[in-house]
Amino acid sequence: MMKVAAAPMFGAILLALWEIAVVAAEVPPYILPRPSAIAMAIAANAGDLASALAVTLQVTVAALTLAALSGALVALVLAQSPIAERIFFPYAVFLQVTPIVTIAPFIIIWVENVFVVLLILAWMAAIFPIISNTLLGLKSVDTNLKDLFRLYGATRWQTIRRLMIPSALPYFLGGLRIAGGMALIGTVVAEMVAGTSGTRSGLASRLVEASYRLELAIALGCFVLLSAAGLVLYLVLDAVSRRLLRHWHESARAAP
Amino acid sequence: MTEPAFRLIGAGKTYPNGTQALAPISLDIARGRFVSLVGPSGCGKSTLLRLMAGLITPSEGEVVRGTGSSETGFVFQDATLMPWANVADNVALPLVLKNQPPDRVAETLQRVGLQGFEGAYPRELSGGMQMRASIARAIVTSPQILLMDEPFAALDEFTRFRLNDDLIDLWRQHKWTAVFVTHSIREAVFLSQRVIVMSPRPGRMLADIAIDVPEPRDPAFRSSHILADYCAHIAAVLGRAMDAGGRAA
Ligand SMILES: Nc1ncnc2c1ncn2[C@@H]1O[C@H](COP(=O)(O)OP(=O)(O)OP(=O)(O)O)[C@@H](O)[C@H]1O
Ligand SMILES: [Mg+2]
Repeated sequence: MMKVAAAPMFGAILLALWEIAVVAAEVPPYILPRPSAIAMAIAANAGDLASALAVTLQVTVAALTLAALSGALVALVLAQSPIAERIFFPYAVFLQVTPIVTIAPFIIIWVENVFVVLLILAWMAAIFPIISNTLLGLKSVDTNLKDLFRLYGATRWQTIRRLMIPSALPYFLGGLRIAGGMALIGTVVAEMVAGTSGTRSGLASRLVEASYRLELAIALGCFVLLSAAGLVLYLVLDAVSRRLLRHWHESARAAP
Repeated sequence: MTEPAFRLIGAGKTYPNGTQALAPISLDIARGRFVSLVGPSGCGKSTLLRLMAGLITPSEGEVVRGTGSSETGFVFQDATLMPWANVADNVALPLVLKNQPPDRVAETLQRVGLQGFEGAYPRELSGGMQMRASIARAIVTSPQILLMDEPFAALDEFTRFRLNDDLIDLWRQHKWTAVFVTHSIREAVFLSQRVIVMSPRPGRMLADIAIDVPEPRDPAFRSSHILADYCAHIAAVLGRAMDAGGRAA
């Protein structure tokens, strides 16, 4: 019980100290609002912020799904031939090392639909961990098992379906957990750069907007919600991963 | 004279990196026999077995595999089970890959003493039970040929003896052609009708010893003089070869 409560308690103490310090030092709310003010700002704008959060999460989840599917597919193709890997993998690395902020202006020019712009940028941020992890998994298939499949005359499709995909699954899921965070970061950065406005704006553009107006309580409220969304996303992906691997993979073993 | 299960004609293997694992070797393995390969570590026993299985091709000479050799069961040194699949699915794999219904799985698990563990995952099994599952997988297709690469090397002696006895029983029922690699001379003599002794790398055939002991063999044979004499003979052959190798090196 104590163990479960330790981290939230630490956070609560920090928030209390913050509250006391702001009140004691009389810091104006446009420099640093009190935690209770942030909570009240969230409550007062609940409907507004919730729909903004929904927009951001829509982009994030769509981008993550796309990245998971396309990344796994790319890895599967690259794993079929070392030549394909040598030709195409460097471009995946290129995608990874290029900061998406620098690509954003071009995407914004070329693509009209803002949702699609955000989707593309978040997808670009999320796909690399999927490709590289899945590829590693596909290449670490047990050689004896591979020989066994060959011995029984397994077709390429049988080998992919019954050997390569299950072997690579833990690696893929590891990549997915990283990619979840990357997709959210990608979405946030894209929203900030694309500067969406109007009714369909996401939480990150609301954050920027609020900070321009020095509504710091709302801006920090957006920040809190984004962090919470990231945490929840991670927990969901972690739970999915544990569930899929619970019977066989060491990583899914219950902690002693 | 029936066609042998395997005929090696000057078959040798030098790996692409230049390691000569196996000097050219010629030998026939008759159908229905239990043959063991013994020799020091690194002498090319696994290489020879993989040549027979068709998993690698000889770099010289020829390996002729008799009809029905497509029905080959292979038992690896470690159990080599799919960790994501339960015992039943692991054992069913050869059938599934050949698009056959997995209806012989339960019977085969019974035969190796794993009934009741159909739904268990490999990591929930002991090493000996994993090995049994691996053997079940190799025999589920009723193969005519069973190739085993030190299947019991990692097991304690009690488990090993028990699995040896089981293996003999199974072989007596099915009369497969069995080729069995082991580090244990006693195990080789106990199980086989023929023991092939190999030299240190590059492997050559040092001796080809028929174990003329009436069947069926029972566990008492393990502690008999006859077995001890065969072991002493094989150990002497190996010892001479190791000494000669040592002097040459
Ligand atoms: N794929 C390979 N590429 C290069 N060399 C290899 C390869 N496989 C085996 N060798 C070499 O060939 C030699 C014989 O190997 P092999 O595995 O057949 O020996 P072994 O008799 O089975 O040994 P052990 O009893 O230790 O299992 C060794 O020197 C080994 O290093
Ligand atoms: Mg070996």
